[in-house]
Amino acid sequence: MANKRNATTIVAILAVVVLLLWRPTVIIYGLQAAGLYATIAIPMGLILGIVHIVNLAHGEFMMLAAYATYMLCQSLGIDPYLAMIPVAIVTSAFGFLVYKLTIRQALKAPELNQLILTFGLGIAITQTMNLFFTSQTRKMSFGYVSASIDIGELSFGVYNFVFVGFAILMVIGLRLYLTKTTAGKAALAVGQNPKGAAIVGIDVDKTYGSVFAIATALVGMMGAVFITRSAVFPTVGSPFTMKSFCLVAMAGIGNIPGILGASVLLGISENFLKAFRSLRGWSDIVFFVLIITVILGRSIKGKKA
Amino acid sequence: MKNKTSYAIAAGIAVIMIAFPAFLGAYPLNVARSVMTYMALAISWDMLLRSGQISFGIAGLFGLGSYASALAVLRGGMDPFLSIVFAAVFAGVMAYALGFVVLRLRSMYFSITTLALMEIFRIIIHNLHDFSGGPEGVVLPGVIFKGSASALYWLCLGGLFITIGASYYFEKSKMHLALTAIRNDETSARSNGVDIFKYLLIAFVVTSTLQGMMGAIQVQSYGFTMPDTAFDGNFTLLPLAMALLGGVHSTIGPMAGAVLLGVSAEWLKLQIPYGHLVVYGIIIIIVILFMPQGIVGMVRKASRTGRRSGRKAGASNE
Amino acid sequence: MKKALAILVIVTMAVSAFAMGGKDGAAAAAGEPATIKLGGTWPLGDITGKQGSMAAQQAVDEINAAGGINGHKLELIVIDDEMKADKGASAFEKLITVDKVDMLIGGMASGVALGQIPVLKKYNKVYLATGAASFKVEEALGADANWYFHLHPWDYNQGASYAEGWAAIQEKYPEIQIKKLFLAYEEGAFGKASYDATKVLFGADDRYIIDGAPFKSAALGGGDYAAVLKAAKDFQPDLFLWAGWEADALPLLEQSKAMKFNPGIYLGAPPGWPADFGASSLANNVMLYGMWAPSINDISPVSKKFYDGFVAKFGIEPATYFAPLSYSAVYIAADAIKRAGSTDTEALIKALAATNYDSPLGQTVTFTPSNIIKHQGVKNQKILQWQNGRQEVIWPFDAATAKPVYPFPAW
Repeated sequence: MANKRNATTIVAILAVVVLLLWRPTVIIYGLQAAGLYATIAIPMGLILGIVHIVNLAHGEFMMLAAYATYMLCQSLGIDPYLAMIPVAIVTSAFGFLVYKLTIRQALKAPELNQLILTFGLGIAITQTMNLFFTSQTRKMSFGYVSASIDIGELSFGVYNFVFVGFAILMVIGLRLYLTKTTAGKAALAVGQNPKGAAIVGIDVDKTYGSVFAIATALVGMMGAVFITRSAVFPTVGSPFTMKSFCLVAMAGIGNIPGILGASVLLGISENFLKAFRSLRGWSDIVFFVLIITVILGRSIKGKKA
Repeated sequence: MKNKTSYAIAAGIAVIMIAFPAFLGAYPLNVARSVMTYMALAISWDMLLRSGQISFGIAGLFGLGSYASALAVLRGGMDPFLSIVFAAVFAGVMAYALGFVVLRLRSMYFSITTLALMEIFRIIIHNLHDFSGGPEGVVLPGVIFKGSASALYWLCLGGLFITIGASYYFEKSKMHLALTAIRNDETSARSNGVDIFKYLLIAFVVTSTLQGMMGAIQVQSYGFTMPDTAFDGNFTLLPLAMALLGGVHSTIGPMAGAVLLGVSAEWLKLQIPYGHLVVYGIIIIIVILFMPQGIVGMVRKASRTGRRSGRKAGASNE
Repeated sequence: MKKALAILVIVTMAVSAFAMGGKDGAAAAAGEPATIKLGGTWPLGDITGKQGSMAAQQAVDEINAAGGINGHKLELIVIDDEMKADKGASAFEKLITVDKVDMLIGGMASGVALGQIPVLKKYNKVYLATGAASFKVEEALGADANWYFHLHPWDYNQGASYAEGWAAIQEKYPEIQIKKLFLAYEEGAFGKASYDATKVLFGADDRYIIDGAPFKSAALGGGDYAAVLKAAKDFQPDLFLWAGWEADALPLLEQSKAMKFNPGIYLGAPPGWPADFGASSLANNVMLYGMWAPSINDISPVSKKFYDGFVAKFGIEPATYFAPLSYSAVYIAADAIKRAGSTDTEALIKALAATNYDSPLGQTVTFTPSNIIKHQGVKNQKILQWQNGRQEVIWPFDAATAKPVYPFPAW
C-alpha cells in the first residue's frame, strides 16, 4: 500500500515536471482554475458533509454576496477586500435565516424534499435579483487584477493565485475548527451520526444552524473576492452550484481536503486539453469523464474491500 | 365493483382528454402539450425512484432522444413518426449499455453520474459540428403532421398514455414488489432472491426509453432543437419538482404535480409578465414546506383521518 | 376509486384553467372594436427583452397620446418567451388565436424564433421581427414567407457590413492597416455563428488572414480566457475581435493586460455592455460593433426623442439597442397600418413593404430583399469606439460622431 502511494506520488511529480517544461501555462492556469473551483466547492462540501443537504441554492448565495459587495463598494468607494468581512457577516446572517425559516422545517422530510426546496430557493433568489437589477452585468475594475509576471517570453497573470491561497486557508481553517474546537468536534460528530450525537447531548439543530452559517459566511467571503475578477449578474452563481456538487462528490462526502485535490486534478486536466488547439472545445468533457471515472473507481475499490 | 367504477372513470377521462381538440383552441392545446411532456418525464422519473434510485439524467435522455430523432430524419431520411420510435429505442439501448456501469452505484453517486452523463451527451452533440449542427442546433424540414394543433396534441397524448400505461404496469406487476423491496432494504431483498440488478436495469431502460420518446416527440413538434434547448437542465429539475410536489412513488402524484406547476407557470406568466418566476420559486418552497408528502399524500391523509372519524361514529359500512 | 376521482379533479383543474384563458380572449375580442392590437414576445427576464418591450410600450403610449392610428387606439400585449423555443411558440399561439392581435412584433434569440416559425407559417400572420440574427432562421422561413419582416440584420449582413466598414476606415485613415484578424468567440450558438460569418466574409479574397478560437463565456460559468488569449497573442493580429456576452467584457481586458496582449485594434461584439463599462480605465478606445449608442442623440433628433422619452418614463438609460429597435418596430407597424387603412394581411404587407422610416438608429429603415426573404430592414451594423466613457460612432461616416483613436493604447 505504502509502495503504491509512493509510486503514485512519483508519477504525479514527474507529470508535473514534464508539463512545466513542455507547457508551463498548463500548470499555472490549471492551479488558478483549481483555486477558484475549490474555494466555491468547499463550503458546499461542509454543508453536505455535516448537514447532509445538497444545497442547490449554493451559487445563489455567492451571487447575493457579490451583489452586496458591489453595492457596498460602489456606494462607499472601497475595495472588495475591505468589504469581505462585512459581506461575510451579512451573507451568513441571511444564510442562517434561510436555514431557520425553510431548510430546518424540511430536515425531517426525505432528502429529495430538501433538494427541491433549495432548488425553489435558488429560483426565487435569482429571479428576485433579476427583477431588481435586471440581467445587465456589473463589474468593477481594479488594476491589481491584471498583475503579471514575465518569465522569458512568457507573461501570465498571477492575480488568480489568490484563490489558491484562499482555498488552502479554508482547508486548514476548517480542519482546525473541526478537530480543535468543541463546536467543531460536535459538528463532526453530528455529521457522522446525528442520532448518536443527540444521545450524547449535542444540540444537533444548533450545530446544523452554525455549520450553515459558517458555510454561508465562507461563500459570502468568496463572493466578495469573486467580484474582483468577474462580472456579477443574477445567474452568475448557478453554474458553480453544479460544478461544486460534482467536485464534492468526486472527493467523497465529508472529505474537505479531497475537494482541493479534486479541483487541482480537474483544473490541470482542463488546461491540458486547452493546450491542444483541436481539442479546445472538448475541455469541458474532462470534468465529467473524470468525475465518473473517480466515482466508479472508488465504488469498485470499495466493493473489493 | 370498486375497481370497475375506477376503470370506467379512468376510461371516461381518457376519452375526454382525447376529445380536447374538439373544444379547445390551438393555444390551450399547446400549453397542454407542454404540461403533458413534463408529466410524462415526471412519471418516468418516479418509476425509477420507486427502486430508490434518484436520477439526474432526465434531460440527458430527453436530449438524446431529441437528437436521435432529428438526426435520423435529417441525415438518414427517416420518416418523422418512425424516427420517434427509433429515438425511443436508441435511448433504451444507450441506457442498457450504460446501465451495466451506473446501476452499480447508489444514492448520491448514482445521481451525480447520471448528471455527468447528461453533460457528456450535451458536450458531444455540441462539438460534433458537421454531424449534429453544433451549438446552433438543427432545423428539420418541417413539423410532423404539418403542424396541425390537434395531431400534435394527440401525438403528445399518445406518449403520455404509453408512459402512464408503463407506470401502471410497474405499479401492478411484480416489478412493484421487486422495486419496493430494493428501495426498502437492498440486502434483505437480495437474500430473498430478488435479482436486484435485473430489475434495476429493466426500470432504467424502460424509463430512459420513455424519456427519449418524449424528447423525440418534442423535437418533431417544434421542428427544431439545439443543445441548450434539448439538454436544458429544467428538463431534469422541473419533473423532479413536479413529482415531489404531487407525491412520489405513484402515477397520480407526478401527474398532479405537473398540472400544478405547468398550469401555474403559464398562468403566472400571463398575469405577471415581469417577475413571474419569483412567484414560481416561492410556490415550490411553500408546497415543499407545507405539503411534505405532496398533494396526493395530503389528500390521502385527509381522507384517512376523515374515514377514521367516520369509523369512530360507527357510520362506516366497510 | 379515489385515484380516479383525483384524476378527475386534476383534469377539471386543467380544463378550467385553459377555458379561462379562452374566455379572456373572447371577452377582449368582443370588447372595444376600435383598438388595434399588437402582440409581442420578448425574453422579459433578459435586459434586451425587458428594455425592448418597455421601449415598445413607450412608442405605443406616444402614438396614443398623439391621437392613435386614424382615431383607433393602439394596444400592445406582451408575453414572455423565457428565451425558450416552446414557450415562444406557445406565446404566438395565444397572441394569434386567443388575443386575436392584428400584427406581431418583437423577438430576440434565434433559438426562440426557430421554434416560432412553424406557428407563424400556420397562420401567415404579419410579423415584424426585432431579433433573430441567425441565417438558419431565414432558411427555415423560406422564400414564400412574405409576411415576415425582419428588422434586425442577419448574421451575414452584419459580417458583410463589418468587412465594408473596415475597408472604408482603412481607406480614409491610412494609418490603420489590418492584415491579420483574430476572433475569440464564445462556444455557444452566438459565437460560433459570428466566427463562421467572419471567416466567410473576411476570407472572401486574400485580403485578410483569419484565425480564431473558442472560449467559455463567463455568462455560462466560464471566464478563463488564458488559452484563447495565448493563441491570439501567438498569432499577433492587427485586429482582435471577441464575440461573447457582456459578462466577458472587462475580465477579457483584464486578462489581456495581465498577459501583455496588446493588439492595435481591440474590438468587442457583445449584444450589450456592462453597467459603467466606460468608467474603467481599460475600456478607453476599445472598439465595438453595435446598432445604436446614446451618442447618436447628437446627430438624430428621433434618437434624442426616444432617449429622453425612455429616461423620463422609466428613470433608467436604455442599455441595449433592442430598445430603439423595438421602439422603431412599433412606429413602423403603426405607420404601415395607418397607410394601409386596415389590418388586412395583404394590405398590411403592401404598406409595410413601402416603409420609409427615419429611425432612432441614425438611419432610414426600408425593406429590401436579403438572400432568401423579401423584406429585410436594417442591413448594416455600426463600428463604434469607447472614447472617454462614451460610445462614439466611427462608421458609417455619415452617422459618425467621432474619429477613431488608433492604435489601442499600450497597457
